[in-house]
Amino acid sequence: MKILVTVKRIPDPDESLKFAGGGLDTSSSKWVPNAFDEYAVETALRLAEVAGKRDRLAEVIVMSICPAKQRQHVTQFLAMGADRGVVVDADDSELDTIAVSKAIAAVAKSEGVDLTIVGKLSQDNEGNQVAQRVAGLLNVPQAGFAATVKWDKNAGTLDVGREVDDGVEHKLVPLPAVVSVDLRVVLPTSIKNGVTADSHKYQEGPRLASLRGITMAKRKKVKVLKLSDIGVSSAGSEQVVAVAPPPARPSGQIVGSVEELHEKLAKEAKVL
Amino acid sequence: MTGSNPLVRDRDVDFLLYEVHNVLDLCKLPAFAEHGRETFDLFLRSAAKLARDSLFPLFREMDEQPARLVDGRVHEHPKMGELYARMVELGIVTAGRPEEVGGAQLPSCITSMAYLYLMAGNGGAVGYPLLTAGAGHLIESFGSDALRELFLERMYGGSWSGTMALTEPQAGSSLGDITTSASPIEGREDVYRIKGNKIFISGGDHQFLDNIVHLTLARRVGDPAGVKGISLFAVPRMRPVAGAPEQLEFNDVHTSQLVHKIGWKGLASLGLSYGENEDCRGWLVGKPCQGLRYMFQMMNEARLLVGANATATASAAYHESLAYARVRTQGRRLDRRTGADSSGPVALIEHPDVRRMLLRQKAIVEGSMSLIVASARYADLAEHHEDPARREQARLLLDMLTPVTKSFAAERGFESTSLALQIHGGYGYSSEYLPELWMREQRLNSIHEGTTAIHSLDLLGRKVVAKGGQALMTLAGVIGADIQAAHQHGELVELCEAVTHELERTGKLTQVLGARGLGGDVIGMLAHSVDYLTLFSNLVVAWQWLRIAGASCKALQGPLADERRAYYQAKVEAARYWIRTELADNARLAKLCESAEDSYLKVPDAGW
Repeated sequence: MKILVTVKRIPDPDESLKFAGGGLDTSSSKWVPNAFDEYAVETALRLAEVAGKRDRLAEVIVMSICPAKQRQHVTQFLAMGADRGVVVDADDSELDTIAVSKAIAAVAKSEGVDLTIVGKLSQDNEGNQVAQRVAGLLNVPQAGFAATVKWDKNAGTLDVGREVDDGVEHKLVPLPAVVSVDLRVVLPTSIKNGVTADSHKYQEGPRLASLRGITMAKRKKVKVLKLSDIGVSSAGSEQVVAVAPPPARPSGQIVGSVEELHEKLAKEAKVL
Repeated sequence: MTGSNPLVRDRDVDFLLYEVHNVLDLCKLPAFAEHGRETFDLFLRSAAKLARDSLFPLFREMDEQPARLVDGRVHEHPKMGELYARMVELGIVTAGRPEEVGGAQLPSCITSMAYLYLMAGNGGAVGYPLLTAGAGHLIESFGSDALRELFLERMYGGSWSGTMALTEPQAGSSLGDITTSASPIEGREDVYRIKGNKIFISGGDHQFLDNIVHLTLARRVGDPAGVKGISLFAVPRMRPVAGAPEQLEFNDVHTSQLVHKIGWKGLASLGLSYGENEDCRGWLVGKPCQGLRYMFQMMNEARLLVGANATATASAAYHESLAYARVRTQGRRLDRRTGADSSGPVALIEHPDVRRMLLRQKAIVEGSMSLIVASARYADLAEHHEDPARREQARLLLDMLTPVTKSFAAERGFESTSLALQIHGGYGYSSEYLPELWMREQRLNSIHEGTTAIHSLDLLGRKVVAKGGQALMTLAGVIGADIQAAHQHGELVELCEAVTHELERTGKLTQVLGARGLGGDVIGMLAHSVDYLTLFSNLVVAWQWLRIAGASCKALQGPLADERRAYYQAKVEAARYWIRTELADNARLAKLCESAEDSYLKVPDAGW
């Protein structure tokens, strides 16, 4: 089986936002991998590996669309254990959701992957569109917001558990498919591949890029493509009109009595 | 507690490594040619993540649930095994070791910053793998092939841990007085019967791995008294069964005592009793009677690690108090208008003395971090530079800076951590907040791996006067070059002049004290050795701050966003603070040392 995992670099969410020229100023940002993509890679690795052994049940390919020279996040995922990488060399200005989705679909098709795993959203703009669009473009089933994944190799299906308002919904999707993953997918027993014992407990959270992994990652193959190589034209269907910080919250007030509170809630806040 | 504490700020690590100390230059050496910025960044990011996500969340809990001694065995915190496995998986045990023993041969500059992150998260927990690394390195350096095969692979691989077993109940700083003995076993050339007691053995027992190898100092029967008769032995808790080396049997190493201590509770400190049943075997490491010399490799590494721990602890406390000072409101501004003042209380950080306490912490923490990178860089050059003369020069500087790097961080790190507690006010004195815990942790650092006094004697009595003061002259040359580089920035001229002046004062003082020692007045030379160490540390850290200020001024020459400009401006102010306040104290310290002020020597014994 071939698993394609999409990964994105984003400005460090722990840094304060900077604005310039009607948009975000990322010129001095520290770039970090999107956390949900780390969960996606961890999901793929747990599906692919046999815990405690060197055997692999699948090849894991990480794909990113980013400037070719700024792909440290791809190296990090190769260091975690992915087998090889595909980088589509493009600047953020060339991209919008449709271009990104088309590029992913094109790579998934040309690589002939059986499963595409994506993070449910990227933490910078929280779009949550890519999985759905890619599934549509590929015309394959999708299961969004996976909290658990169970692979039945013989049947060629995935049982995907999704936490919904009234419980856990299970979707049985035939492969090939697209799955987007949520936070809980990296709990110790969320992934079952049918070969690693179901009782096996992984460490919680995505694994670290170990020093050995980092050293090995440098020897792994990374294919670099341009958008034009895969027949995708650059952005044009979306336009950023303006980006501005939200208005500052007014400071709180200390009221002297219940009566005063009641009056303010009724007359000023108009919530009563 | 205030939000998420970065423990050590990534930006500071990057700034020191790449803008101040130009660590990428090391990659021009064949030993590090395989490496580059990407490897360093990814490794340090993993270390920071492990520290923040796994180690730090268990820091308070491991203090509250220390190891217990039950029926002769230590029961450590139940999560310790998992933490150990994660640290081994990250690669910290062998990060600096060569590929042939399973390492990655990273420069010490990089490994020391990785340790800094981990130690800031949970110093006690990091003790286990770092002790294993130090013990393994001894076997790697001095052990025979057979010994390496027996122990090293499993220690470096993460399935056995290691300790250093030096201290005995009656012999701590004075290792020449140890009494643990090694008797020959007939028919076994390098294996001895060990008998004796050790104390304060960190990580000396636990249950998360199958075995623990104690690198133990002992005296072979018949060898001379004092340090010349000490040999080094690898003494495992469990030994391979003769004829079936995959099986292990008890090696008569007993846990006799669990030390109840005020900090570092995640790392059990133990009394060990060897050979109660006359059945404890120790494997001689290297040649007999060379034990202390060998052990100095581990001790010197450990001294730099103590410096790193002290800096890391102070760093975590600094960031905690900085965040607290930003959100905690209290009092009004000193310069508020009297009378109709309706403004509310202000954040602590707006009060001048709180700012002083914060800047003092910043000066100590970042000055010490810079000194760690500088020392690590000399360690890298001493080991791997192609030119033997450069190796020799770096070795001289490393040897001289080691007692400073350790003791400055320990002594001033404690002061810095105390300031973090002070900023928390009454809450700081409560165990609801972390500064009290960091203070308890920090207190050990000026005691273990050589007390501050021992390091002051090492510096003044040995290092600065060795070979006619060659090391000090070399350092003066290096500092002089850095002064010259900083002098091109107009706003640093005042600081350059102050450092130049104090460098000269230190040189002259050292000559006076050295001559006094040569003339036979050893007490006159060394009675104020700790004051000398403080003076010397003030100078060395001022040198670091001058380098930091120089790099900052360089960055400030270009176009910068406001936030980055502020970042560099704060560095220049911290440099000013250190040089104007602490370095200025060197005049007083020099007078004390030179006058051999003798009040405490003259107190009659009956008068105390």
